[in-house]
Amino acid sequence: MADTAQMNDQKSDPNVLVRVDNLHMHFPIYKGIFRRQVGAVKAVDGLTFDIRRGETLGLVGESGCGKSTAGRAILRLYDPTSGHVHINGKDIAELSRTELRKIRPQMQMIFQDPQASLNPRMTVGSIVSEPLDEHGIVSGKEKKARVGELLDAVGLNPSFVNRYPHEFSGGQRQRIGIARALALNPEFIVCDEPIAALDVSIQAQVVNLLEDLQSKLGLTYLFISHDLSMVRHIADRVAVMYLGKIMELTSVENLFKTPKHPYTKALLSAVPVPDPKIEAKRERIILEGDVPNPANPPKGCVFSTRCPIAETKCFEDAPKWRDLGKDQYVACHLAG
Amino acid sequence: MLNYTIRRLLFAIPTLLVISFIIFIILDLAPNDPTGNLPLTIPAEVRAQIRESLGLGQPFHIRYIKWLEQFFINEPLNIMEHWWGAPIGDSDSRLRVTSWMSRSPVVDLIVERMPQTLWVVGLSYLVGILIALPIGVISAYKQYSWFDQIGTFISMVGFSVPTFFTGLLLIVVFSVNLGWLPSIYDTTLKVTDFSSFMAQLRQLAMPVMVLALFNAAQLSRFMRASMLDNLNQDYVRTARAKGMSEKVVLLVHVLRNSLIPVVTVIALGVPQIFGGAIITEQIFKVNGLGQLLILGIENADIPLVQTLTFIFAILIVFFNLIADVVYGMLDPRIRYD
Amino acid sequence: MKKLKILMMAGVAASLMVSAANAGSHSKRGADGQLNIIYWQAASILNPYLSGGTKDTHASSMILEPLAKYDEKGGMVASLAEEIPTPENGGVSKDLTSITWKLKKGVTWSDGSPFTAADVVFSAEYCMDTTGGCNSISNFNDVKSVEAVDDHTVKITFKVAKPFPYGPFVGATVPIIQKAQFKDCMGAKAPTCTTQNFGPIGTGPFVVTEFKSNDVVVYAANDKYREADKPAFATAIIKGGGEAAAAARSVLETGEFDYAWNLQVEPEILAQMAAKGKGTIVTSFGTSVERLMVQSMAVSADLGDKRGTKEGGAHPFLTDPAVREALSFAIDREILVEAGYGKAGQVTCNVLPAPAVYASTANDDCKKQDVARANKVLDDAGWAKGSDGIRAKDGVRLSILFQTSTNGVRQGTQALIKQMWKAIGVETELRNISASVFFGGDQSSPDTFQKFFADIEMYTNNFDGTDPEKYMGSWTCSNIPAPSNQWIGNNMPRYCNAEYDALVAEMGKTASIEKRAALAMKMNDMLMKARVMIPLIHRGDVSAHANTIKGVRMNSWDSQLWNVADWTRAK
Repeated sequence: MADTAQMNDQKSDPNVLVRVDNLHMHFPIYKGIFRRQVGAVKAVDGLTFDIRRGETLGLVGESGCGKSTAGRAILRLYDPTSGHVHINGKDIAELSRTELRKIRPQMQMIFQDPQASLNPRMTVGSIVSEPLDEHGIVSGKEKKARVGELLDAVGLNPSFVNRYPHEFSGGQRQRIGIARALALNPEFIVCDEPIAALDVSIQAQVVNLLEDLQSKLGLTYLFISHDLSMVRHIADRVAVMYLGKIMELTSVENLFKTPKHPYTKALLSAVPVPDPKIEAKRERIILEGDVPNPANPPKGCVFSTRCPIAETKCFEDAPKWRDLGKDQYVACHLAG
Repeated sequence: MLNYTIRRLLFAIPTLLVISFIIFIILDLAPNDPTGNLPLTIPAEVRAQIRESLGLGQPFHIRYIKWLEQFFINEPLNIMEHWWGAPIGDSDSRLRVTSWMSRSPVVDLIVERMPQTLWVVGLSYLVGILIALPIGVISAYKQYSWFDQIGTFISMVGFSVPTFFTGLLLIVVFSVNLGWLPSIYDTTLKVTDFSSFMAQLRQLAMPVMVLALFNAAQLSRFMRASMLDNLNQDYVRTARAKGMSEKVVLLVHVLRNSLIPVVTVIALGVPQIFGGAIITEQIFKVNGLGQLLILGIENADIPLVQTLTFIFAILIVFFNLIADVVYGMLDPRIRYD
Repeated sequence: MKKLKILMMAGVAASLMVSAANAGSHSKRGADGQLNIIYWQAASILNPYLSGGTKDTHASSMILEPLAKYDEKGGMVASLAEEIPTPENGGVSKDLTSITWKLKKGVTWSDGSPFTAADVVFSAEYCMDTTGGCNSISNFNDVKSVEAVDDHTVKITFKVAKPFPYGPFVGATVPIIQKAQFKDCMGAKAPTCTTQNFGPIGTGPFVVTEFKSNDVVVYAANDKYREADKPAFATAIIKGGGEAAAAARSVLETGEFDYAWNLQVEPEILAQMAAKGKGTIVTSFGTSVERLMVQSMAVSADLGDKRGTKEGGAHPFLTDPAVREALSFAIDREILVEAGYGKAGQVTCNVLPAPAVYASTANDDCKKQDVARANKVLDDAGWAKGSDGIRAKDGVRLSILFQTSTNGVRQGTQALIKQMWKAIGVETELRNISASVFFGGDQSSPDTFQKFFADIEMYTNNFDGTDPEKYMGSWTCSNIPAPSNQWIGNNMPRYCNAEYDALVAEMGKTASIEKRAALAMKMNDMLMKARVMIPLIHRGDVSAHANTIKGVRMNSWDSQLWNVADWTRAK
């Protein structure tokens, strides 16, 4: 795809940790007595972007736009339909299962539901230490010390090792999830809506913890969220997703000051302003209709069916990925 | 957990008493006559005498209290006597629960039938579990694969085709046409050497397979559903993200969690073993507890039916408790205190 | 008293000859290995006095012996007695009030102790103790005393003249048990003697080595048995359980067993199995007759307590002889036999079909179905078909409630009869009741065969042994079940005829076999003419034995295993 070339011109940029190249994740739909494949849900449909070392890339979008799927496909928790994901120069989409397991320690994930993501029959200690055994990193007393250290690092009392996940509160469980993810000293962590299931008061604590750990350990985050204000707070750059595709990718400052894509504008207009006077006068862009079925996306621009400024060509040709300068990229015929 | 168990056991006592009373009332109200199956050549006066000698002339509450005494005091005393080897009290005049059909102590009849029932029904339960678990695991892991489809089909067949049909089919094939296996179970066979062991295996083969297929059909479905439930859980994704091998993910993370409900179902099914398999026992002439129960019912042998059903009730209550306790041990989220 | 001299069962002489001819070709005791018998109803107990079940009686007949047995023709054969006592040989007193049995000498029990008259006396006391619940107690009716004259002579005295004094100790239901073993098991203690009841010591060809109640009996040859070369089998088992078809299969198809009892299997299936050539089906006919009982009292539920009793009044239409006649002639008995019984049934028009000397031929016109005659009889009597095809007269419709016990063959027969009656304009409603309720004596149940709250009921009845006196006495006025006698009594049709009662009384005083036979036949014909009952099928017993087993003489009068000592296996 020619339109992606401009992004991939710096092939061996040492600053880039993760390079996602034209990633597709389609889920087949089977129907009928013989379960023939009759189509596919195009959850992720051609993602291309880089994540630089030490940065936090926010991935935002409505529910069902494919954010989480993208996160899982990048870590190859799903086998992507096509495309490449290079982490530290290795294409993990191509690796065999065994090779993949070897580099798993480099990349970890923090899940949305801290309750469901922890095996209910394992103690906190074994949840955190299991990968240490599996990858043969440390053992014996050292392992114990490491677990204590990890729990301490995420702000949990190390004496909790023998407790079960259900004995903790939501915020504590998420800390366990983070400790677990940190156990193997990863470089790259996908945070899949890590705070969505938590109380607002706890959300800030967890986000602060993530930021602290990032600065201490030099982590790189892909922060998936539908909460724009939280993304504004934590992310360096933001990618906006709609129906399996990225609409706009730019720095946080650009995004909030000069959004270019009509979808981004609509999203931003939905963020409430914490000043009642401004809030009352603010003009909101209301999008008509529902998100189209990802099994049968619209022809042309996927956003065309709801776009307030769409023109004829939007319904016919898919927009190309355009560099608007100032590190701002957009997929729209009209933006600029 | 101990307190909980003791409390449950204490609660079980009134429950069981009520159950025994209900069983007794139902059996008593049922229009049945222990002399009903005697030849018509035996005149009615003689029948009346026989009924009198069985104790049927006494009022209901006296018979019930007598049964309670025999079952809860006399029989346990006999068992203790048997263990100690020395007589306790006046053991000769102690009345035992006596079957009307065979005029012998019901407990002895039950003990006599226990081996074949445990061999056939118990083994089939075990074989059923051993077949069901792997099938359930693989079916779930490879959902909608050919293996899963075939497994589903076999389960459906195993569950919906009655044992009297599969049993008869096996007899026609393996006993009548091929002549490989005996169609009649020999309860007098004693395993003393290799050849008698083989004979035992041969006579066990058909009844065990018939019942095992039936048991496995149910359990494998259950196992599959439970596995599917867990396979899509986030913690499984977590385990994969940790870089655990598929074997560990499946057998340690998913299987262990999936087994919790399955183990409960297995524990709840154990009393059925002691209930015997009425139909299969009849087909292969195993003559275990199931056949004893059905004979007792046919012949209006109230003491026998009462005692057997009550023992089943005890087992059911007991294994319910075991299932709960096991559940508590397997699932750390559940604690009884 | 000349006629007393001919008091003798017709079969006695004949059977003595038969048994003499039967001194088989035995080689040696125990030479033929194991005999495998299957009874799909398993033996519960081996003391026949405490069980009325045929299965138990048969299983114990391999161990326990009576003084005399009935052979396959219904004649008596001495077993523990030297000979059958008759008035001729002086064994039966001239006034018919006592019988003196001479016992075989040198007979020992299987434990080695001698068999004496004391054992016989004890056996009588054991059964006659009313608190023991003895099933065979009616065999001892009118017995005044049983005394040992000497070690080998027993004298049984009756309160009244007994023209047929062979009730006690003839047949498998009344064998001799060992006094030494059972002396502490009298009366109320009888059922508690499990060891004795499960392992009686006997004089017969086999001893019990293992008994699992309702499962299996294992026997070994009795090494003290009085005939040195018998039995030919060293061991035997009677396995129980399953159902008739499976038992048949195990002899006829798989050959796992040598003998299978009571094969009530669909005739067609049985024939298919027999075609394999492994075994032979054997049948014999006793006195069992499947019959319809015809109610003569009103049974409408509106009558409340008077239902089915004399007080309730006569039946609205079954009292009309024309209706009864038509119902009988409308039935094609041959079809019933073919459909439900095969070799195990014969068409009959008598309730007393056997032994041959008692069998009447006066009623044989019912053997052929005659729908025309049935229709004509009803037309003549004024029962006219209504618009629904059902006959009625004076507002009374011919609508019958027909009940029987739950049993596949009976329900099949019911359905066929319903069709046949429909053809003559009679409506039938079918009902079946669980056997244990139907034949059970539960006073509170309205569904017993004695209460007979229906218009027609069907079941089989027969009598023990060969003497029909008691059986024919079932239909006297005093035997009508009613609330006053707790519904006890065998006169289900509620037939009451002074003339019939007189004949019964006369038979009780008559000794001559010919005269007794003539009386029995007259009573049978009376019942048949009045169609008190409508006999359908003379039912036989069907068993099967492997072709290698020789010496089986199928017997409906005694245990089917009565001559198991003579069975051998062909090499």
